[in-house]
Amino acid sequence: MTTALAAAAPSAVRLRRVRLAEYGALVFFGVAMGLPVVFLLLSSFNIAPPSKEAVFGLDNWSRAFSDTGTLSALWMSFLLSITYLIPGMILSVVMAWLIARTDMPGGNLVEFLCWFAYFVPDFPLVLAWILLLDPNFGFLNAAVSALPFAPAPRFNPYSFWGIVWVHLSTGGVWFKVMLLTPILRRVGATLEEAARVAGANHFTVLRRISLPVILPAILAVAALSFIRGLESFNTELLLGTPVGIYVYATRIYDYTRHEPSAYGEATALGSVFLVVLASLAYFYQRRLRGKKFTVVTGQGYSTLKVKLGRWRYLALGGCLSYIAVMMLLPLAFLMLGSVMRRYGFFHISAPFTLVHWRNLFGDAIFFLALKNSLVIAAITGVAAVALYSTVGYFLACKKLRTAPLLEMLTWMPWVVPGILMSLGLLWMFLATPLRSVLYGSVWGIALALTIKESPVCTQAFKAAFLQLGPDLEEAARVSGASWIYTYRRILVPLVAPVAATVGLISFGNALTSISTPVLLYSARSRPLAILLMEYSFSGEVERAAALGLLITAIVSVMMLIGRKFVRPLTGNL
Amino acid sequence: MKKAGAKKSLGFLLAAVFCWFAIGPAGAQQKDWEKDWSQTLAAAKKEGSVVVVGSPDPVMRGEIIPKFQARYGIPVEFLAGRSSEVAARLRTERAAGIYAVDVFLSGPDTTATVFYPEKMLDPLKPLLVLPEVVDGSKWKRGKPWFVDPEEKFVLRPFSSVASLFFINTDFVKPDEIKSIKDLLNPKWKGKISTEDPTTTGAGANLAARLHHEFGPDFIRKLYLEQKPVSTRERRQFTDWLARGTQPICLNCREDDVRPLEKEGYKLLEIFGLSDIAPATNGSPWLMSLANRPPHPNAAKVFVNWMASKEGIELYARGYGSATLRTDIDHSFLNPGNVPKPGVKYFDDTEWSWIVTGRHDNREMAWKLMKSR
Repeated sequence: MTTALAAAAPSAVRLRRVRLAEYGALVFFGVAMGLPVVFLLLSSFNIAPPSKEAVFGLDNWSRAFSDTGTLSALWMSFLLSITYLIPGMILSVVMAWLIARTDMPGGNLVEFLCWFAYFVPDFPLVLAWILLLDPNFGFLNAAVSALPFAPAPRFNPYSFWGIVWVHLSTGGVWFKVMLLTPILRRVGATLEEAARVAGANHFTVLRRISLPVILPAILAVAALSFIRGLESFNTELLLGTPVGIYVYATRIYDYTRHEPSAYGEATALGSVFLVVLASLAYFYQRRLRGKKFTVVTGQGYSTLKVKLGRWRYLALGGCLSYIAVMMLLPLAFLMLGSVMRRYGFFHISAPFTLVHWRNLFGDAIFFLALKNSLVIAAITGVAAVALYSTVGYFLACKKLRTAPLLEMLTWMPWVVPGILMSLGLLWMFLATPLRSVLYGSVWGIALALTIKESPVCTQAFKAAFLQLGPDLEEAARVSGASWIYTYRRILVPLVAPVAATVGLISFGNALTSISTPVLLYSARSRPLAILLMEYSFSGEVERAAALGLLITAIVSVMMLIGRKFVRPLTGNL
Repeated sequence: MKKAGAKKSLGFLLAAVFCWFAIGPAGAQQKDWEKDWSQTLAAAKKEGSVVVVGSPDPVMRGEIIPKFQARYGIPVEFLAGRSSEVAARLRTERAAGIYAVDVFLSGPDTTATVFYPEKMLDPLKPLLVLPEVVDGSKWKRGKPWFVDPEEKFVLRPFSSVASLFFINTDFVKPDEIKSIKDLLNPKWKGKISTEDPTTTGAGANLAARLHHEFGPDFIRKLYLEQKPVSTRERRQFTDWLARGTQPICLNCREDDVRPLEKEGYKLLEIFGLSDIAPATNGSPWLMSLANRPPHPNAAKVFVNWMASKEGIELYARGYGSATLRTDIDHSFLNPGNVPKPGVKYFDDTEWSWIVTGRHDNREMAWKLMKSR
């Protein structure tokens, strides 16, 4: 009895600490993520003209939803998102499996190229696809029309399928590969080997073993991608508008740039994302309820990879071909664009020049913006890993009473579009005593970007922690290790590949995000992404292409450095 | 002889008195102005910077800021953004008691429908003190043109003739479009590009004017039956114009088209037609002073310099706009962009047109376009 009580005492203390941490996390996430959204939702009911006494009513909501184009735009968004989600998921799962779980040669190169591809900016890349596929002057159309059996034009980017194609090129696959690869790396070979001993072939192993054990990650990535798809509008603006394809996010965007602005209507439309998120969260919980996804335990762990035999070169060829067509081809045009006097005009006299690169480096604010961006991205990367690894752990360890609420809060930053979230955060920063630190500073922007990355980072860590067995922690505890020590020395190294992924995604997104810092920066904290926006806005497409490439190069260098640091931490994993 | 000498002395005395009355106060005024200006400059340098809000603009970034800093040693903190975003940011800041902006260089819509009615401005007129700025002879309208109803808040330094549309003459002969109604010729179906007219912007502004002058039937025919190709990306429709994909461009911008003309593309700017008057506008911006500016002296230096020959000319050359100053040689512009005396223009930046006329007509045009 005495022994039992003695054992129970530290356990009770630990539980109290967990509760304390739980409530601390709830308060932080409630304030940082819930409050801006609540502010925006409340503001959407304010129907008084700006700067007048508030009057509450439903006018903004009824105006937003009674617009004839709203429902059709919503339907189009769903249709597009689903259409490129399905092939995107299949391709990315296969690619991530080949990189992480097989002996395909060049896996690291393929993974690196996926990372590189993800951070190439959308806007100039879509322009590159237009140059390639335009029915009137597209290079691929011209090339294909030279063939006797293929009357021109064969391709048209200004169409539903054109938009799907370009999405698969700009982020439909790369993002998913980035998130799934480290999760798949954690899947030990023990189960796969057992299946093979039982006579299963590669495909059966993938279908019956590898995929089911990473189901939480697959569902999370699918949900993240679906929401991102619904919120996407850059590609649709360039390729859809000419043929009358409008998506839901375009409607929201239109309200935000209305003069005078109509943020109330925009928030009302954004509330649909809340419903979608709640539905996805419900589906996610229901699908995973009562199942275990532990693959890393204290008992034996094999990292042997699946041997593909003669198929390994074919697999590599398939991956590289996909990357070549979907990324390297438009990327070549993008690089050309940055050294052309006018992007896409090859037949003008002396079409090539380095003037855009010279002008970029000669811009009086370039180096300050570069410094700001690096500082912001570094803070965001570190903060995201520190914060979301803890939250992901709490959500995965299932000891929380309020896990569903906490998880819902972590999704909040994606409930409203970036520009609205930026407004909500500005309001929040100004309302806190920390406003002298946060307002207009790199710290404020970094915090906003950390908050904005919450859904991706939380879900990635949660999926990673779900793979770890409880016996690892218990063994450490029995040996007298504190929770902090266990977390730092056992759990974090085991999820290091995911931590590196999350850190780099946050770092890269902090470099490229425009909508989040747009209301939060000052002249002294202006990041590169705002400079990129200024170039695009004022029609300087070539300089924007040069800057976009530079940002991609910075992220790539960071990725190489990150891998160098993570590898010793994780051994051969 | 003595009498003559006395008369002469009296004459000198009278002349001296006259000179004292006539020139003395002016000289004193000049000294007052100089004293005020040097005090302002000293105080401005102590304030350390001036915060200017405007649209993302290479001229501002590449020319205005470096030149102003070089001349006065006062750094310019330029915050660029879309007008609607800037307005949202300012409202939130001001609700929290933060007044962080000194000067607005903003578009007419935001100025007239947000900054002015929401009382975000202080009078600009009393701050203009440089002789070359307040001297009426330096301005085509006889004085600096304050366009707000109280004539003291919003300065309009530019007035250019705006293009109605552009054509690529390799595909469209100029004599094929003599009247705006010629755009309705079935031959041009699918051959016209426009900035998306269903959302705020230049596309909707032109639709509003056409609705105002030609009515709903014309809008229906042009924007629905002619199936114009619309986009939000300004480079896209300029490229279409040059390549001839859509050889008629309703909203191409002169500064985007000019480089293509230099490359030899046969692009023609149409300003007016037999049934529609050419229009003028105040692009690239109207200037106003934020109320409770954090750097009032630096703001005073900036607005005076910006309204001076040097400031306006720098912007006009960079942006390609005609100014309202008389001491600027406009030979760098396409002559068609400079308003001519005696010609009646439709003023697209006229205050009441922005506040009510354009807004109402735009709404009606949108209703028609969405009814398809």
